[in-house]
Amino acid sequence: MSRVFGWRSAVAFAALAALPWLPGVPKYYLLLAFDALLFGAIAMSLDLLIGYTGLVSFGHAAFYGLGAYATAILLERGILSLWACLGFAIVVVGLYAAVVSYFATARRGIYFALLTLIFAEVVFTFFRYTQTFGGSDGIQGLPDALVFPGVAIDTPARKYYLVWVYLLLAYAVCRVLVTSHFGRVLVAIRENEDRARFLGYNVQKYKMLACMISALLTGLGGAIYPIRAAFATPDLMLWTESGEFIISVMIGGLGTLVGPIIGGVFFTLLRDKVSSYVDWYFIVIGVVLVVIVLFLPKGLLGLRRALGFGRWRATA
Amino acid sequence: MARDGVVLAVEGVSKSFGALAALTDVSLSVRQGEVFSVIGPNGAGKSTLFNVVSGLYAPTAGRVSFLGREITGLAPETINRLGVAKTFQITNIFPEISVGENVSVASQSRAAVSGRLASLWRRADVEARVTELLEAFGLTAKRDELAENLSHGEQRYLEICLALATEPTLLLLDEPTAGMTPGETRGATALIKKIALARGLTLLLIEHDMSVVMGISDRIAVLHFGEKIAEGPPEQIRNDPRVIEAYLGPPEA
Repeated sequence: MSRVFGWRSAVAFAALAALPWLPGVPKYYLLLAFDALLFGAIAMSLDLLIGYTGLVSFGHAAFYGLGAYATAILLERGILSLWACLGFAIVVVGLYAAVVSYFATARRGIYFALLTLIFAEVVFTFFRYTQTFGGSDGIQGLPDALVFPGVAIDTPARKYYLVWVYLLLAYAVCRVLVTSHFGRVLVAIRENEDRARFLGYNVQKYKMLACMISALLTGLGGAIYPIRAAFATPDLMLWTESGEFIISVMIGGLGTLVGPIIGGVFFTLLRDKVSSYVDWYFIVIGVVLVVIVLFLPKGLLGLRRALGFGRWRATA
Repeated sequence: MARDGVVLAVEGVSKSFGALAALTDVSLSVRQGEVFSVIGPNGAGKSTLFNVVSGLYAPTAGRVSFLGREITGLAPETINRLGVAKTFQITNIFPEISVGENVSVASQSRAAVSGRLASLWRRADVEARVTELLEAFGLTAKRDELAENLSHGEQRYLEICLALATEPTLLLLDEPTAGMTPGETRGATALIKKIALARGLTLLLIEHDMSVVMGISDRIAVLHFGEKIAEGPPEQIRNDPRVIEAYLGPPEA
């Protein structure tokens, strides 16, 4: 399995698993870590599209939000099984993603980005104004989900391990994908999609599949969010949320998988720290982003090479 | 194999872009194992003909068949999978990945796993073919270099490698020596001929440089303003008055 987990990622996951056992870690920090890892995992899923396939999706918040609503709707009705929630999220997000992928991948560049954005806005508007799903308040006050009958995901540590497992599996899936036959074709499409067609690849089929996989991983991330937060609101689907996913990918480093995880964690922690002092935290984040884009075009992961830690290549 | 060893048959193909007739009623047939060249001055419709054959454009009229099977208007990826590969006049490679990865992604297109669900996790072993192709074009030492960092001549070779990696029966070469020095052109021409022979390929070549074509072609067709004005072996084409007129202009009165 060295193709998936090198010693560095093994150490990193082991360290993350040890976090709840560290003495004196307040519960609040475990929940913050949940948010950070969730954001990182979603940025990584988006990196499959942006960094590997060269498709910028401005609508990932819809996949995320739909996943969250899928869980919230079941929990609200007393269906508490984690597995039922995840299964329902896969169905809901999968159906929506199939439609979006089909239409958006028929167009290139800015049109792809705009189509994903428009679809996402439609979904946002639907949930924002549909009273069955709580309108602008969303679905609040949800009970804890159950892993097995009688085993509730109730403590911060259990919630934290849920996101840990999700990140681990999502990372393994992404790593296998980008090192496969399929991943190689995605990179070729990013580099020169016209040439890829003349090598016998049905480019739209590959793009659709990449979109579907990225969307499903994001939707599963959304599906575990209400288990930690006990709510789902339409704000999860707002276009600014999609923008924050993209920013995290860029902060971390396109086409690296690990970079966007770090980017998402960095973004979440920065937002948490800065917003606890000032309301205009987005200005600070904006400045950080500008500095990174100007001086570290390969993102935070590019720092490693800039500082001379071994050789590192962008992709494949 | 099709009747009479005909690999590619173009029958009465016309293509217009609005009012512009880029090709008018062009027919030609390319036989198994030959080097067939299409020449003509700039704007004669040579690249349009290639784009019709390779699937980028559907013709306005006429039909194209490959190994006896009609391919008129099929998508480029479908035509490639049937065994027609194309190189481009303007270098068309994957710039920001390594030379080795360029050839690998082209080679794996023919791997058994391609297009199957297992391609999501498996990776075809294309190592032997990649090594062989890079070796044939003298690119072995550049394997880990980013494709965009190759010299112009090396990029032209990589271009051909990509097409060959898809194991075609028919290779369409669109001005393979474009932008090369006369010395490089001679070397490249000899190499292309050698590789075509060794692999039993059928070549359809576009050129405007007459000197390249004369040395390597079995037969030549001449296009002028979208119409075929001559076809035959090199000697005959060289002395055809209509060809000379097309290239040099009408004789002085």
